Amino acid sequence: MQLIKRKASESTVRPFQKIAPALAAASCSLLSVASNTALARGEAGTWDFEAASLFYSETDDRVVAVEPVFSATKNFEDGEVLNLKAAFDALTGASPNGATPSAAPQTFTTPSGNSTYTTDAGDAPIDDTFKDSRVALSASWLAPINRDWEYNAAFYGSKEYDYLSLGTSGGIKRYLNNKNTALNAGLSFSFDTIEPEGDIAKPLAKMGYNDADFDASRDDSSDSKTIIDALFGVSQVINRNTIMQFNYSVSMSDGYLSDPFKVLSVIDDTTGGNFEEGGNNVYLYEARPDSRIKHSLYWQTKYALANGDVIDGSYRFMLDDWGINSHTFDFRYRWQLGSSYLEPHFRYYMQSEADFYKRYISETEYNAGNLKEATADYRLGDLDGMTVGLKYGHKLDNDHEFNMRVEYYLQSSSGDKGFGLLKDQDLYPDTKALIFQVGYSF
Amino acid sequence: MAELTLEPEDNPAQHPLPKLTGNRKLWIGCFQAMASDCELLIEGVDEAQALVLLMIAAKETWRIEHKFSRYVSGNTMDRINTSSGQPIEVDPETTLLLNFSEQCYQLSDGLFDITSGVLRKIWRFDGGDAVPDSVQINDSLKYIGWNKVGWHSPMLSLQVGMELDFGGIGKEYAVDRVMLALNAEVDRLPKQSAFSNCRFVVNFGGDLACSGPRLDGSPWTIGVENSERDHTAVATVSLRQGAVATSGDSRRYLLKEGVRYSHILNPLTGESIIDAPHAISVAATSCMQAGMLSTFAMLHGEQAEAFLKAQEVQYWIQR
Repeated sequence: MQLIKRKASESTVRPFQKIAPALAAASCSLLSVASNTALARGEAGTWDFEAASLFYSETDDRVVAVEPVFSATKNFEDGEVLNLKAAFDALTGASPNGATPSAAPQTFTTPSGNSTYTTDAGDAPIDDTFKDSRVALSASWLAPINRDWEYNAAFYGSKEYDYLSLGTSGGIKRYLNNKNTALNAGLSFSFDTIEPEGDIAKPLAKMGYNDADFDASRDDSSDSKTIIDALFGVSQVINRNTIMQFNYSVSMSDGYLSDPFKVLSVIDDTTGGNFEEGGNNVYLYEARPDSRIKHSLYWQTKYALANGDVIDGSYRFMLDDWGINSHTFDFRYRWQLGSSYLEPHFRYYMQSEADFYKRYISETEYNAGNLKEATADYRLGDLDGMTVGLKYGHKLDNDHEFNMRVEYYLQSSSGDKGFGLLKDQDLYPDTKALIFQVGYSF
Repeated sequence: MAELTLEPEDNPAQHPLPKLTGNRKLWIGCFQAMASDCELLIEGVDEAQALVLLMIAAKETWRIEHKFSRYVSGNTMDRINTSSGQPIEVDPETTLLLNFSEQCYQLSDGLFDITSGVLRKIWRFDGGDAVPDSVQINDSLKYIGWNKVGWHSPMLSLQVGMELDFGGIGKEYAVDRVMLALNAEVDRLPKQSAFSNCRFVVNFGGDLACSGPRLDGSPWTIGVENSERDHTAVATVSLRQGAVATSGDSRRYLLKEGVRYSHILNPLTGESIIDAPHAISVAATSCMQAGMLSTFAMLHGEQAEAFLKAQEVQYWIQR
């Protein structure tokens, strides 16, 4: 018997018309489904692409960020997945420098030491020299080892003008119980270097207003930190409609963890105004501990309704040795409307302040000189954040998807209201931001 | 094994109940329809889910069989074939099948013709040697030819003495319809459930389709019957996606004076195709497409291979 697998390309003479495509079209209209000669997304042998652009704008002319992202995913026949991603950030605007607002105008030396900037009376001091662009590249690889095991590996690098971050990660996943249960463990390592223009500020050094004072406040030209993250997770299919995930992760950072652009105001004990020395207000560069260990627990449940809608709820609890703990509640409802969907999103975040968070330093504390660590960065203070958003996606006939997302973010901080003149100032202004994203996957 | 319950109207031909065997690694569902062993291989679901899928497959297959079989009185086919020259209105599904048949007639230059069933009355493929004579053949040819059919969707008029027969496409159509029904059931369920890992093969006696590669990434290995050794040995095809259909003359032929007359008949001449391969399997996106390509190839007899080469599809020939 002959049973030989052949490909038609061997043919030299073609007395016959090629009717296979016409038959394919006829079969498709008979079965009333689109032809899948164009392979569906995620099928072996194809590249899937995703392009998105994120626009982030804080109100009051503060930070504006534009971030185009381009991602390409290749699915291989044996289930391997390669993903390459590139993102470009352009940030402009201003960011609070940590000093308190004041009844009088305030003048600050820029982090580079090359110039000064002035904040009007009553305004939140913001460093408007904040301008940066960033490029980030990453590659990840996921592959099955066999039916029950899977591994992944990734590399990451990003570069800003004064900041370089390099990282690598690896993980392993074990399926159990007919793939209804998945256990995964991952480890990642990253190494970041900062080399700010004007060098690194010494911890709690006084901001200088002339070259000699500025130089006295400076330390090395660059510093670095390492971050090691470990994650353990389990995901479990509960029933045909429900899947649950539970993760524990621990993150250990070591090295230079301060923000070289943040300062604290020293406040006069009697007036509540800025404390002065030599006719200048006193501001100290912030100092944070040189290590941090964060633990977080994450729980997520997705529930699919009979009509195809999906409810997605999650909760994260984070605790660290800086005294911060936080709770994040996230809720999404994916409302399927034929080939489109609408996804309302609500997120609530609450955080307690770090042990060394201080909105300002008092004259007494400054003179005593025994403070080791202090920051006025609102991101380490007591804060509540709320995000309300809506995403719309539309799947096109050719399996491409267009989506857009609008979100509004409102963040409010609270804490020590101060005394004297300081009481008249808004020490905890809200941050409001509008986020707009458009994406297209093909 | 858990019990499968079906309403009587789901099983009009009163076939034996479908059977599910296997385990969580691979479920094997079997049932009978269209004079074939129908098989459903399912991976990645639990037993209850496998039973649901098997029941959907059996119900859909039996529905198609009952609607389009030539042997069920009062069904759609019967209504068409007993219309005695009167125009009748057909339902949307039949409309689609008639449109498809018409396209196949045109694409094959008249070699594929759903009116050719009347030739069965003179060609009896029972392994005997009764080859009809030219008088009988010419008499039958009067009632053959899609061009003689009045088809203006949804109105169909058939001359007295003519008959339509979807036998040449029924099994492939059922495979594709079952694939659609199973995919719809799997899609209906949330992506995050165990069903997102479900893969399956629908195999109706060698006409088959799969929903993708096996969960471990390997292809499905499916036996295709070896015509010469008849059931005892199989050749295998590997399938990652799409469908395979087989046309052949295994066990259905006439032997006279050393000439093997295949059961594939040329509707233009009324003659059996001689020198056709024993079996032709073709891989394509859908089982319908694969089935038509293998049938057309068979109708080209000794030219089968040349025809298939021109189609640029993957195929297997047994001579």
